[in-house]
Amino acid sequence: MTGSRHGKNGLYLEGKKLKRTGFYPAFLAGGLLSAAFPVINLAVRPESFLSLEGSPFHILMQANWQLMAMINVLLVLTGACIMYHTEHSGNAILKMSSLPFREGSLFLGKALVMASVCAVVLLIEAASVLFCTIHWFGEEGMLPEVLIGFGFSFLMLLPALLCSLLIASVCKNMWVSLGIGVVCIFLATMLPKDDFVLSLFPFAMPFQEISGEIHKLLQQVPETVWKLSAAAGAESALFIVLEFVFLKVRRWF
Amino acid sequence: MSNDRNIIEAHQLSRSYAGFRAVDRIDLHVPRGSVYGFLGPNGAGKSTTMKMLLGLTTPSEGYFVVDGKKNPENRVEILKEIGSLIESPAFYGNLTGEENLDIIRRILGLPKSAVSQALDLVGLTQYRRRLARNYSLGMKQRLGLAGALLGKPPILILDEPTNGLDPVGIHEIRALIRSLPAQFDCTVLVSSHLLSEIELMADRIGILNHGRILFEGTLEDLKAYGLTQGYPTGNLEEVFLAMVNEDNGRRGMIR
Ligand SMILES: Nc1ncnc2c1ncn2[C@@H]1O[C@H](COP(=O)(O)OP(=O)(O)OP(=O)(O)O)[C@@H](O)[C@H]1O
Ligand SMILES: [Mg+2]
Repeated sequence: MTGSRHGKNGLYLEGKKLKRTGFYPAFLAGGLLSAAFPVINLAVRPESFLSLEGSPFHILMQANWQLMAMINVLLVLTGACIMYHTEHSGNAILKMSSLPFREGSLFLGKALVMASVCAVVLLIEAASVLFCTIHWFGEEGMLPEVLIGFGFSFLMLLPALLCSLLIASVCKNMWVSLGIGVVCIFLATMLPKDDFVLSLFPFAMPFQEISGEIHKLLQQVPETVWKLSAAAGAESALFIVLEFVFLKVRRWF
Repeated sequence: MSNDRNIIEAHQLSRSYAGFRAVDRIDLHVPRGSVYGFLGPNGAGKSTTMKMLLGLTTPSEGYFVVDGKKNPENRVEILKEIGSLIESPAFYGNLTGEENLDIIRRILGLPKSAVSQALDLVGLTQYRRRLARNYSLGMKQRLGLAGALLGKPPILILDEPTNGLDPVGIHEIRALIRSLPAQFDCTVLVSSHLLSEIELMADRIGILNHGRILFEGTLEDLKAYGLTQGYPTGNLEEVFLAMVNEDNGRRGMIR
């Protein structure tokens, strides 16, 4: 009973705990910054993009996504660190653990808050990309492709999001979780992009994008797309399970 | 199995850390509606015991029953009945005192008025809009106490609640704790290093040293026990110290 009450409440509660932490401004600023990349790129050197063949969406993603994804994944990591820093710094987590609700819902509430702000960030980015396709390429009908593309990006961001939260919940010191996360992101950028297994590394997934394959999507979902989606789902589930195991095991130490 | 008279009962409860026993097969009996004083020197295992009762750490042996419910099967059910303050104050530094309590209130599903009542009880009303990280140590302690009192739970577990308070504050909080069973019809388990403090609050005491219970009973029992053991009896604090010293001496000989 309390569990379900907290479930409804969780998003609100975990959202409220972030007051005055700079969490929301950080995501807004990050979203605007990464949304600025395609616009600036096109404003500064339109000729190098407008002359390219193919879908404008694909051209834009090819040129900008690696940087935009980097910002997204850094935001997710920083956000996770801020979220658990509020729990650990004043030892509030100890009080939370002695209240009558399932502790897993604290983690899930945080994941829900973070997924929501990530959705907002991706929407800002999508709006910017859409604006570029219309303003510079004169292409009016790209909305469905852009939405599908960024929907996929959202899915690809989830494993990194949950993994960051898991790390931040385990490490009491925010700087340790931040350090681990930065090393993971650094590793992800060094992994070869064409190796499918290596591309499943949670912090590498956000760099994936499918703008080149969306036209195929309408007839048949390409194998890599559904494989990546399934992997993202499985990894997300895995990190949630790991967090629940951690919450159980922690009482033994 | 559980005795109706005792709201908390522990049986052979133990907790080991890397080879040593912080809590060593203790039996506790906390009568319903009483203030139970949990007494012991630093490192005796008071906080560890309280953490076990709150399900924060798992006992390595033994079990306990709270109001007829067993841990860990009924963890959430047990916690519904307990308000707690454990060790150092626990709070969200980026939130005000009032917002901190509001988080707890929402989890407990209480009406809004519960927060102002709790703030009032511990005397924090005028500081409710200040950020908790800017609270003084005593104010943080009071905030923790308010969090424990929220919703008037039937059981209160308070770990050194007067820690960090000034003399006036200590007096005030003691009086508050003393009055709780009559006011809210609850049972209080409170820990301290000082017998002189426990003496003023508790109906029944348990003395803990190196994880073992040396004595459990009323203050009169302790007095009588002191007499039979030939301890100085003018002052109960001395009985307590003599007891602990003798136990330490015995341990020294065994080792
Ligand atoms: N997580 C832990 N790992 C290892 N040892 C621990 C841990 N927690 C507590 N201990 C040890 O258990 C013993 C009892 O600690 P506890 O905090 O219960 O004492 P206490 O009676 O509350 O003391 P105080 O009056 O100083 O608060 C101590 O020796 C402590 O070092
Ligand atoms: Mg202690």
